[in-house]
Amino acid sequence: MTTPYLRVRNLTKRFGDFTALDDVSIDLYQGEFVCFLGPSGCGKTTLLRAISGLDIQTHGTVEQNGHDISALPPAKRDFGIVFQSYALFQNLTVARNIAYGLENRKQPKEAIRRRVQELLELIGLPDSGNKYPSQLSGGQQQRVALARALAVSPGLLLLDEPLSALDAKVRVYLRDEIKALRRRLGITTIMITHDQEEAISMADRIVVMRAGKIEQIGTPLEIYHQPASLFVAEFIGAMNLLPALLVQQGEIQLGQTRLACTVNGFAPGTAVQAAVRPEDVVCTGRTNGHANSFRAEVRDLEFMGPFFWLSLSGGELGEHRLRAQLPSQRARELDLRPRDSTHLHIPAEHIRLFPEGYSHG
Amino acid sequence: MAEAAVLAPPRIRPRLSRDEWLMGGGLCVLALYLAITLLVPLVIMLAKSMQDRDGVFVSLANFIKYFTNPALTGAIGHSLWVSALATLIVIALAFGYAYALTRGCIPFKGFFRLVAMAPLLAPSLLSAIALIYLFGNQGALKGWLFGESIYGPIGIVLGSVFWTFPHALIILITALSTADARLYEASESLGASRWRTFATVTLPGARYGLISAIFVVFTLVITDFGVPKVIGGQFNMLATDIYKQVVGQQNFQMGAVVSLILLLPAVVAFFVERWAQSRQSSAVSSRAVPYHPKPRPVRDLALLGLVSLVALVILGILGMAAFASLAKLWPYDLSLTLRHYDFNTADGGSWTAYGNSIEMAFYTAVLGSLVVFSGAYLVEKTRIAKPLRTATHLLALIPMAVPGMVLGLAYIFFFNAPGNPLNFLYGSMAILVLATIAHFYTVSHLTALTALKQLDPEFESVSASLKTPFYRTAWRVTAPMCLPAILDIAIYFFVNAMTTVSAVVFLYSPATTLASVAVLNMDDAGDTAPAAAMAMLIVFTAGAVRLLHAGSSRWLHRRTQAWRGC
Ligand SMILES: Nc1ncnc2c1ncn2[C@@H]1O[C@H](COP(=O)(O)OP(=O)(O)OP(=O)(O)O)[C@@H](O)[C@H]1O
Ligand SMILES: [Mg+2]
Repeated sequence: MTTPYLRVRNLTKRFGDFTALDDVSIDLYQGEFVCFLGPSGCGKTTLLRAISGLDIQTHGTVEQNGHDISALPPAKRDFGIVFQSYALFQNLTVARNIAYGLENRKQPKEAIRRRVQELLELIGLPDSGNKYPSQLSGGQQQRVALARALAVSPGLLLLDEPLSALDAKVRVYLRDEIKALRRRLGITTIMITHDQEEAISMADRIVVMRAGKIEQIGTPLEIYHQPASLFVAEFIGAMNLLPALLVQQGEIQLGQTRLACTVNGFAPGTAVQAAVRPEDVVCTGRTNGHANSFRAEVRDLEFMGPFFWLSLSGGELGEHRLRAQLPSQRARELDLRPRDSTHLHIPAEHIRLFPEGYSHG
Repeated sequence: MAEAAVLAPPRIRPRLSRDEWLMGGGLCVLALYLAITLLVPLVIMLAKSMQDRDGVFVSLANFIKYFTNPALTGAIGHSLWVSALATLIVIALAFGYAYALTRGCIPFKGFFRLVAMAPLLAPSLLSAIALIYLFGNQGALKGWLFGESIYGPIGIVLGSVFWTFPHALIILITALSTADARLYEASESLGASRWRTFATVTLPGARYGLISAIFVVFTLVITDFGVPKVIGGQFNMLATDIYKQVVGQQNFQMGAVVSLILLLPAVVAFFVERWAQSRQSSAVSSRAVPYHPKPRPVRDLALLGLVSLVALVILGILGMAAFASLAKLWPYDLSLTLRHYDFNTADGGSWTAYGNSIEMAFYTAVLGSLVVFSGAYLVEKTRIAKPLRTATHLLALIPMAVPGMVLGLAYIFFFNAPGNPLNFLYGSMAILVLATIAHFYTVSHLTALTALKQLDPEFESVSASLKTPFYRTAWRVTAPMCLPAILDIAIYFFVNAMTTVSAVVFLYSPATTLASVAVLNMDDAGDTAPAAAMAMLIVFTAGAVRLLHAGSSRWLHRRTQAWRGC
């Protein structure tokens, strides 16, 4: 690829003795949409504020478009920002809010007016220019905050949990809105979220953070299917974690069964955790035509609409508990009930191994 | 070692933006302003207390002289017990009154609240003058005292109770109205008796408010000078002793000694009050459910009786002063006349003094709210120079602990020093304005801070990201959104500038006499009726300004309704 638009190198931020960011490095490419994802307090906002210059890091550098901006105040950087609280100026109309950054640049009034109208149309509120923020719904206010940040055509857009103050429906709708709008403008964007679904559905790449450090950077698919650590595996999506023993290269002992899997970096005889996504567990009922299969008993069935949650244990699984996602249509065919015994199949490439005793949470 | 030094990445030294330079500079200016109008004068006064009349350092000699003179040290005991007694009475009455207004089901709550606030509009002298008309040698109700004289502790306590009552009431109403209904429901559902609920829920809930009110009132009484001056007779108190030493005997050094002694209880009260305030505000959880009183006839009737009685006394004292200002020749000729309002015949008063007061109050309100609001803004929003911000904030809190007379005396020492380049201010209108702003700085500062803290803290971040200088956002967003608070501050300055005596009594010159000082001087010269007239004039003016304020606040509220969204 080309050179990165934003290079963050070895960023560390300390608040007194507390290290909020620990040696964080990321590259962002022109036009990319990156999500910072992680549990509360892991340093997402701290990282964003360091990039924006609002709270400059203790060590490390930030380069934007080839320039070192590490020590520059926010006013000397090129970014637009939207906060969770929107921070709209309540005493100014929507139009004046959007025009706020333009009015400072000595542009002719008419040009400002046209630009504001253009932005109002862009965010789908062409007639709301004369309203005050408090007269708009939360989602509309959010879009005004976005328009205000975009008005000055910044090179980088920073969003700190822009959707978390909204209710679920509006959130999903705005997700698509922001995605479409961003794609149209092609603006490099960083969005903070602690909603993994949001990150997966919106981002080009996801930065998973934990306790001030980066756990993994990758596309949503990579993060989901090849989690680099147990933390990522557990944090993103649903995951079965089963204690197992690596009996030889490419084979684990799980309960009373042996399963093939792809392994790297573990010596035979090591106790490991096998991670399996519920949707990767295939239920074959009475038939057992596959390799990598075993038998277990249905403990519970929970109907979720398009699929069932299947709770399994016993049989060859022994004490272990396994959750599987069974498509509703398949469930009808199999006609499973609690206490039924069923065959299960897990493709080898869907079993990932992590070291045991890894501290998580 | 050397290797580690090489490996450690360089610490980033943030480059300061223009905004930060400007705000840092502004903060320095503010700190300098507060140092000049507050800290330096006080420090100089401290030094003066250890010098003789010729400015030679004499260590603690003045203090020794003071403490070996029983005529002087008697004032300490006097001040303490009179203040304690007055505080006890005020707190008891104000608690009952506040309880009735917040927890009782009584009619005319708005009216009673208004009446209780009326003493705020008057100089403390007014109550003393009215008491003299009521209980003095020719008093209408002299017999009620069973032969005791109103000139002395009785008069001081009664007068102090009158003018400090609203101060206690405001604090106690706040404390009682933050009650959490859920606690009452819990207590009721547990079958607790009413007295038990009162003792286990109401009192603990209001305890920090009570502590706060006790110390505020105590400080007000012990540092007040107007009431004991007018009605104290031969009974000396610390505040009147300072006046006697400075104005009577021109003994400034001894004045400084007494000032420092007076400063002591005020400083203690200040710290206790700050502590209680911080506990009070943290006790209110955001999930608390407001309490709505239910009618209980017996209790409500008793409360109504109490409230009516207190309101009647307040109105009686105000009415007495008003009548005294209108009666031709008390007590012989009670026909009404306006001639006492023609101050030409009275000694020490004039319409010029009234004009000066208005002028002074106006400048204080305008300049004061400007300085205080910009100051609070800088303290709250500057992102650099944390130590300087903290220091400035602490400086802004000092005035609460400094009695007006002490500040006035400190100003004499500082501004009247021959070598001081600011000497030209001495005797001018400007020094009165500076002293009044300094004297009433703390409450205004805290009001402004509270308003600023309610705004979204990210306004400044957004503004910086849009490359808009901070002063533009402050002017277009922050100040307009804080306008109600700014108006409150201005009005607080105006009314207090009209009514204060203690802060300015050492600082006025013949060209800048003030209405409140004129009340004092006319009363001193025996022109009691014109003194009452001038005091009433102050009440009317302060009242009119308050009305104006209420009107403009309402107008503002309506105008900004659109964006406030309610
Ligand atoms: N000004 C500060 N002083 C001290 N500690 C701070 C400060 N700001 C943040 N922290 C600490 O740094 C850590 C990271 O905070 P940050 O706000 O970056 O978390 P976050 O990932 O954005 O969390 P959330 O999802 O809750 O917003 C937290 O433990 C927080 O307490
Ligand atoms: Mg955050």
